[in-house]
Amino acid sequence: MTISRKCVPFTPFEGELARATIGIVTAGGVHLRDQEPFNIADELGDLGYRVISDDVDSKQLMVTHHHYDHSDADKDINVVFPLDVLRDLRVSGFIHGIARKHVGYMGYTMQLKAMYEGTAREIANEIDKGSRADAVVLTGG
Amino acid sequence: MKGIPTVLITVSPEVSAQMRPPRALYPNGFKIGNSLGKPGMRDLQRKVLHDALTLLTENTRPGSIITRDYPEYGEYHEPPRVGK
Repeated sequence: MTISRKCVPFTPFEGELARATIGIVTAGGVHLRDQEPFNIADELGDLGYRVISDDVDSKQLMVTHHHYDHSDADKDINVVFPLDVLRDLRVSGFIHGIARKHVGYMGYTMQLKAMYEGTAREIANEIDKGSRADAVVLTGG
Repeated sequence: MKGIPTVLITVSPEVSAQMRPPRALYPNGFKIGNSLGKPGMRDLQRKVLHDALTLLTENTRPGSIITRDYPEYGEYHEPPRVGK
């Protein structure tokens, strides 16, 4: 199916946040320290993504991205990948749960078609299968 | 797949608008790399994430970007413009 570029792919959110499980997808180049870093040497960008589970220690997360200043994220990953903040909102009861899987990718590419038609769909499938997310927060750098 | 509801937190609203996101929050004047605020500002980070998630339940116009002010951020940075 081809999606019109003029069409807004709007999916309604049904239900209440207090009963919802939320995931995070970031273009900020976030990944675990023991995962392969994004390839910043390739001028075309890196079309890959990294799956981050819900139970990680946020101090084990890092950024590989050379198209924004991530020095603040190096100090506190929550400025671009708010996993601990989401945990706070779960404790307070504002949301019900945190998705089992989150995704980080490097939001810089010269391969827009491959990103749009390939990586984006793969990430959506990753979230759709097994993350239990009712909705997703998207962040950039 | 029936689709996944999303909400974007963007610090480059003009750039993001080109992709016509279904729902989006722009924390006014936050710089790139500070989507939820500065390091350690957990109260502000909570407020931004709370406001972004709340957009899921509000009758926003798909494709529009909602701007909110967070004076506690303490700085203002001009967002990048398209074509510059």
